Amino acid sequence: MMHSLIQLSIIVLLLPLLSFVLLIFFNRRLPRNGDFLAVGILGATFAISAWIFWDVIVIGYDPSFKLAWSFNWIDFGDVPGVGPLQIKMGIMIDNLTAIMLAMVSLISFLVHVYSTGYMSGDKYYGRYFAYLGIFTFSMLGIVLSDNLFSIYIFWELVGLSSYLLIGFFFEKDSAADAQKKAFLTNRVGDIGMWLGILILYSQFHTFGFEEIYEHIKAGDFHMSQAWLTAAGILLFMGCVGKSAQFPLHVWLPDAMEGPTPVSALIHAATMVAAGVYFVARIFVILTVDALHVIAFIGAITAFMAATIAITQHDIKRVLAYSTVSQLGYMVLGLGVGAYSAALFHLLTHAFFKACLFLGSGAIIHAMHHEQDMRWMGGLSKKMPWTFVTFTIATLALAGLPLTSGFMSKDAILAGALGFAEVEGGGIYYLIPILGFFSAMLTAFYMGRQIWLVFFGESRTHLKPADEHHGHDDHGHHEVHEVPWAMRMPLVVLAALSVFAVFSPDPLDGAKGWFMHLVQTPETVVAADVQHENLNNAHHDASVAQGENKGASAETAAVEHVSDAVHGAEQENVHASVAAAGHSVVEEHAAPHATDDHGDEHHGPVFNDPRQAAIAHAAHENHDPAIMYSSIVVALGIGLALIVYVFGFINPEKTAQRIRPLYLYSFNKWYWDEIYDATVIKGSLLISKLLAWFDNNIVDGIVNGVGALVRKFGTASGGFDQYVVDGMVNFTAFFVQTSGAAMKKLQTGKVQTYLVMALVAVTGYIVYYFVQVM
Amino acid sequence: MDFFNTIGLNHYLVISAILFGLGLFAIVTRKNAIVVLMGVELVLNAANINLLAFSKYNGGMEGVMFGLFVIVLAAAEAAIALAIVINMYKTFNTVDVSSIDSMKE
Repeated sequence: MMHSLIQLSIIVLLLPLLSFVLLIFFNRRLPRNGDFLAVGILGATFAISAWIFWDVIVIGYDPSFKLAWSFNWIDFGDVPGVGPLQIKMGIMIDNLTAIMLAMVSLISFLVHVYSTGYMSGDKYYGRYFAYLGIFTFSMLGIVLSDNLFSIYIFWELVGLSSYLLIGFFFEKDSAADAQKKAFLTNRVGDIGMWLGILILYSQFHTFGFEEIYEHIKAGDFHMSQAWLTAAGILLFMGCVGKSAQFPLHVWLPDAMEGPTPVSALIHAATMVAAGVYFVARIFVILTVDALHVIAFIGAITAFMAATIAITQHDIKRVLAYSTVSQLGYMVLGLGVGAYSAALFHLLTHAFFKACLFLGSGAIIHAMHHEQDMRWMGGLSKKMPWTFVTFTIATLALAGLPLTSGFMSKDAILAGALGFAEVEGGGIYYLIPILGFFSAMLTAFYMGRQIWLVFFGESRTHLKPADEHHGHDDHGHHEVHEVPWAMRMPLVVLAALSVFAVFSPDPLDGAKGWFMHLVQTPETVVAADVQHENLNNAHHDASVAQGENKGASAETAAVEHVSDAVHGAEQENVHASVAAAGHSVVEEHAAPHATDDHGDEHHGPVFNDPRQAAIAHAAHENHDPAIMYSSIVVALGIGLALIVYVFGFINPEKTAQRIRPLYLYSFNKWYWDEIYDATVIKGSLLISKLLAWFDNNIVDGIVNGVGALVRKFGTASGGFDQYVVDGMVNFTAFFVQTSGAAMKKLQTGKVQTYLVMALVAVTGYIVYYFVQVM
Repeated sequence: MDFFNTIGLNHYLVISAILFGLGLFAIVTRKNAIVVLMGVELVLNAANINLLAFSKYNGGMEGVMFGLFVIVLAAAEAAIALAIVINMYKTFNTVDVSSIDSMKE
């Protein structure tokens, strides 16, 4: 008997697929191309997801909640030399899944509603909704998967739907190029991910997450630890591709060629976050080395994208680089071990970034497909709804207090500070420093964007005439607010960007429901193979214990850690429970913390000393992080005000003065050029070499063999014609000639035959007698 | 000479051989199908004489029995052969065996 939540989640998964099937086949026969069907089905999907969310999150409210169901998909039977082998498919619902389900289906639903306004009148209106349907299906599939194999399948499916939707305006060359670029870039990451999956499968003969955790925990990984690190980094490559991390980030800005609601849904809120979600799923099997790689990649991505976003003119490109930057934050957060903070940021970012993209879509719609911020300005009065919602989302993105983004970003930065402290400083401080610097840049470029778009005078008339792209009615229409179908999603998403949705305390996300329900799981990689940083962790934990004696209000985590590390004081019941090895989520942690220390700390309790030390240090660094980030955000916004509002610094002149830097940023660090010169030119060169090899060597061999066979054929044909045919013909000739001679004997007269018989018998008798005598 | 005084086996065999030769001669040279048939009867009877002669000088009844069989056979043969001759006449309007050679080639 299947649990009812599982059944509901299967319905949720299949509903968008139904929408896809109905619309892809019948959209031309349905009234309004079937958009009401897609919106209705997605509404139902959201309603059921909300039901699951209500059941799991609101009613359940249990950090250790987990529900799994699976069936044998392919049974290979008893494979010689390996043993019984099956591939299972299944569904796993935990708190994170329930939250992601609700988030994905809500944003997908809102984007559907929004698209009825934004895409109305498009030639392929119905097909657009069909694509949205298959995207939502595959995204929900990723969220619900309980094993690497099915997550890989759905991973490729979201890649496909992303490809289809980026190139939705495929008549434009730029869109067709962008979709190819996105697909190929993603392939690079996916190959790595697949290799990582195969490394794990070769060891454990299973794809299931839980089984892999158990195997690694039990020490069934028989290769050297470097292989586990390699597996982690290879799996992370999938995330690098899908979540547009450095160095595979180049596709995401180009993906803005797709319709803007698609950018909001796929390339801001959900699909690109799938990479982060996936890393969260494999978080516990990552070794320390793999986590370091992840943290540095995330930090580099966050910083690089933020510097690029400063100088872009296209409103969507600024948001795209901002998305890359924020994804970098999430990856950074996972890398430094701030698991729940990173996922919290995933959730908050999904709402405010979707709001920003939909807002930019509204602006583009109202401006008649003008995307260049240089020719905007003064829209705040003409589009008040868009202005207000866009501003709220911007504040959340910039990380101002009272917004959701503030809480999640600060939690990540606190985690990064704690991480750097535990890892012993030095190069590791680069990660929080890059994080804070990116936070400042984020505040700056979003301030710039708000000002360029909404304030000042309209600059539509300043646009050079030769940049008009074919719309003959361009610029003659009055700019006005978008219809309600497009306004409603903005309002909902802006409302979800406010702190109160997530936490009662605007300064501390850890007090909110999310951080309580999605807690950092304990690593399953055995502590003795984590490298020398362990010593630092021991040291920190001891220090923490010392502080504990001084200050009475200390966290439960520290007590547990010090107990676990010293392994002596067995009288502490809770500590012994922790030491006994409750691994994935320490379910006793929350009530215990509440009993002893009020709601001081809700975090999980770790046996792993490194994780415990980081969690502790992150908690310690919460207040400094708030302080630093407020300062850098204030700096960023102040700089934006100085440059764009008060005009103390002229941006054009400054850009001239620091021209190399400006060009470096404006040209996106020249990544496209670098890839063009190396990877693309290189593969073209290899292709040409291979083509030459193919044309000359392979074809030569084939042609040589062909010629040889032809020669042999000619010889064989001659033999056939003269020798074999000659024999056959001679036989026929001989038979004919002898027949002609012999037929003379056949007179047809009965007496002739009789005489012949007589002669023969007589002859025989004579012969007989001659023989005898 | 003994041959002329007492009648022995050789006399029968000579008669039989003469009869056989006459029969063959009739079969090979006569053109009338009826006469050819009579030649066949002569050959059969030459064989009969042989059978009886050997039977008498061997002292058993096998030759006699065989002779009876040959007579029966000859009767049947004559009946069928005459029927063939009648059909031959119906088809070719002649009983001349030398002019019937439609099987040639």
